[in-house]
Amino acid sequence: MKSPAPADLQRWSEDVARDATSLSFLPLARAYRRQGRRDAALRLCLRGLEHHPDNVEGHSLLAMLYFESGQRVKAYDEWSMVLTLEPDNFDALRGMGFYYLEQEDHIAAKRHLERAAAQKSSDPAVQEGLRIISERLGEATAEPAPALDLIDEPWAEAPASPAARGVQATEVVQPVRAVQAPAAPPPAPLEPRPAPAAPPAPAPATAPESFDDPRRIFDPILKGGQILGALILDNQGLVMGGSLAGTVGGQAEALGAILGPAIEEALRTAQHLSLGGWKGALLEADAAVLHFSPVRDGMIVLLAAQKNAPTGWVLRSAQQASAIATRFLEVYS
Amino acid sequence: MSDIFAEAVERLSRVPGVRGALIVETDAGVPVLAELAEGVQGDVVAALASSLFRRTNSAAQTANFGNLRTLQLEAEVGHVVVANGGDLLVVVVAEKNAQLGQVRLEAHRAAEGLQ
Repeated sequence: MKSPAPADLQRWSEDVARDATSLSFLPLARAYRRQGRRDAALRLCLRGLEHHPDNVEGHSLLAMLYFESGQRVKAYDEWSMVLTLEPDNFDALRGMGFYYLEQEDHIAAKRHLERAAAQKSSDPAVQEGLRIISERLGEATAEPAPALDLIDEPWAEAPASPAARGVQATEVVQPVRAVQAPAAPPPAPLEPRPAPAAPPAPAPATAPESFDDPRRIFDPILKGGQILGALILDNQGLVMGGSLAGTVGGQAEALGAILGPAIEEALRTAQHLSLGGWKGALLEADAAVLHFSPVRDGMIVLLAAQKNAPTGWVLRSAQQASAIATRFLEVYS
Repeated sequence: MSDIFAEAVERLSRVPGVRGALIVETDAGVPVLAELAEGVQGDVVAALASSLFRRTNSAAQTANFGNLRTLQLEAEVGHVVVANGGDLLVVVVAEKNAQLGQVRLEAHRAAEGLQ
């Protein structure tokens, strides 16, 4: 991919510096990534997504950055978010497919890679992944298969995805060596190697982008144990989706009614202080951290976290929960 | 004591993006001390912020989450941060792009100093 002109870089930098909500964070972060400045790209993405939590391109780029830095679970979370926002996103389907392949969840890997292949059947990495899965599934009685090195390499850039949306083209991610040597015999990186350390959390049993079970729609953001759960509450205080774990779980049904007056007060305060519409409220209490934010039609998303959960993490998780809820309500309202 | 209040409010008001910092009586909702940018009405901020805090604190207690330590209201063009100092609240009105981490830190410090 052609490097951006210095003038473009300058303009994007100025845009972002002047206006934190500018979408120029995307091309600038991509440029940083190409320059090998992953940390800077990561920071830009995180900050940009604070203002654009529904931005598919941003989540997709963040997933790549996490992946390339070895943070598999975070990459998985971001791809989950992409698929929540755009269920047929090729990059995310492929990324999730290889994630599951590495986790040896061949059924989930196959499901994702087949969906990716339906989008782009000629993609050599997807074909290679499916071939490996087919081999593995044919060896059901063999020794447990070790993880593969398919996605350990930095991902190459390819022409923009047709599914891309937004101001800049999507960088299609591809496992480099799989692209270079897809034919039999299997290329060296595809040979089995000792399994890497287990990720902090296991892959969920069901596809996170599925809304089949309304109680589990927020599963993609629950990894790590800091987030206790999230609920969508309608304007009558009734739970429409999600669940809460731990000590707050039993209070799920009551929370809507309890928080109702506080939510009205928040709305009134924001209006009276000429702060515009309210976007959310973070409550740090002795026993938990709560965040609630409006979604649509008077409904809110409530997120509960451990009392010692980092605030930034809670806010970011709340944005993700809001995006999931929006998508859920679009599908089911 | 008023020096402590004044120092806390002054420190808060120096944080980039802060438009107003107040010490407010929790129950009465009236400002004890305030440093406000032009156009920010201290009485209104104090009344609304304390009312919001009392309401959310009551909700948190009812839901068995304990006392509220901090409340942060996010709006389209700014934030309101309220830190619990017992009988007094520290209230900060900040612009959207303010350094919220610093605002929260200073608000916490100020609230601890009030207790």
